[in-house]
Amino acid sequence: MAFEWLFLISIAAGFVGAMSGMGGGVVLIPALTLLGMNIKQAIAISIVSVIATSSGSASAYVRDRITNLKVGMFLEIFTILGAIAGAAITLASGQSVLFIAFGAVLLGSWLALFLQRKEQWRPVARQDAVSRWLELEGAYYDQPAGKTIVYRGARAYVGGPLMFGAGLIAGLLGIGAGALKVLIHDLVMGLPPKVSTTTSNLIIGVTALAGTSVYLAAGMIDPGLVAPVMLGILLGAYLGTKLLVRLSNMAVRQIFLVVLLVLGIEMLVRGVRGAL
Amino acid sequence: MNGPAEDLTVRDARAKEAMMEGFIGYVLLAGVAVSAVLVIVGLAWHWVRTGHLGADYTIPRMNLFEFIVADVRQVVSGPFRPRLLISLGIAALMLTPYVRVLASMIFFALVERNWKYSLFTGFVLAVLTYSLFLR
Repeated sequence: MAFEWLFLISIAAGFVGAMSGMGGGVVLIPALTLLGMNIKQAIAISIVSVIATSSGSASAYVRDRITNLKVGMFLEIFTILGAIAGAAITLASGQSVLFIAFGAVLLGSWLALFLQRKEQWRPVARQDAVSRWLELEGAYYDQPAGKTIVYRGARAYVGGPLMFGAGLIAGLLGIGAGALKVLIHDLVMGLPPKVSTTTSNLIIGVTALAGTSVYLAAGMIDPGLVAPVMLGILLGAYLGTKLLVRLSNMAVRQIFLVVLLVLGIEMLVRGVRGAL
Repeated sequence: MNGPAEDLTVRDARAKEAMMEGFIGYVLLAGVAVSAVLVIVGLAWHWVRTGHLGADYTIPRMNLFEFIVADVRQVVSGPFRPRLLISLGIAALMLTPYVRVLASMIFFALVERNWKYSLFTGFVLAVLTYSLFLR
């Protein structure tokens, strides 16, 4: 595939990914397969660039002191095991299975975003013994609210195993699976939204590395393809975050919901057609 | 409620945490920046040399450490070529989260002396190391 095309598609994917908070892979992989690339190859290339985007944004969040390093470290235990298993499954499975899985995950994310209510974060009232033993607590300075918010995490014994699933999907499909991780942080562990997203960013980098090393060992990381994709996604993500400040959240979400739905159905249809 | 002594310990812990977070933030930033610069320079050099933007080459089946050893061997022995810079850029990218975890473990073990989190981080590091040596 031509270098220029790879680069342009990656900029677009990084851009949309940053604005929606879903990461570039969700758009990149369907686009690459539409241009005729083998889906396994697209997954392997995508997961390398996930390391770049997540590390880039995590560096800013960690220095802003919003990310919770302990929550991140604890949950990484589960996501890396999931990612290695997921990548190994991808190497062994057929193309149409991957198309169907990708479509299903896209539609699942669509449903999760669609159903998401604008609920206010409520602090965890009573922390369970496991989460207390794990020291899952923290505080960060909230700029808009103008005060320090103190929080505690709960139900780590459910959140941890669920993160294995999030890591599995990340390794399997070459995406960050950030939406899934945020959902687990928010709904299961009761972390404030800002802490959820920034900590998920930190976890994604390590998870993607575990997946990448499986694909590298299988000889599927092609530097000639990785180079333009990685640079394009980084550039697109940078532009996306710059523009994000100006666009209203509602508009971004509406656009993204349509994109997710179309791509999800398209991938499912191609998977089912391939299987028949 | 808090005596002055307790206040000092809390403040000390906070300061240590801030130090660690600052350090980890810069490790991540430096890793991505070094990697991007290596890849950009490699591609630009390739373009000047051949007139083609795309560098078309694959790497044989090897794990990250073999990949790095092969790169370093080329740096030492052979002519310096654009594709080598691109390979080094990708290796730098892959090492970024790895170094981040390594730095966290050193911090938890030596500065915070938190055995629980030293253990967790050590486990993550061990699994990552294993995955980087996969065949």
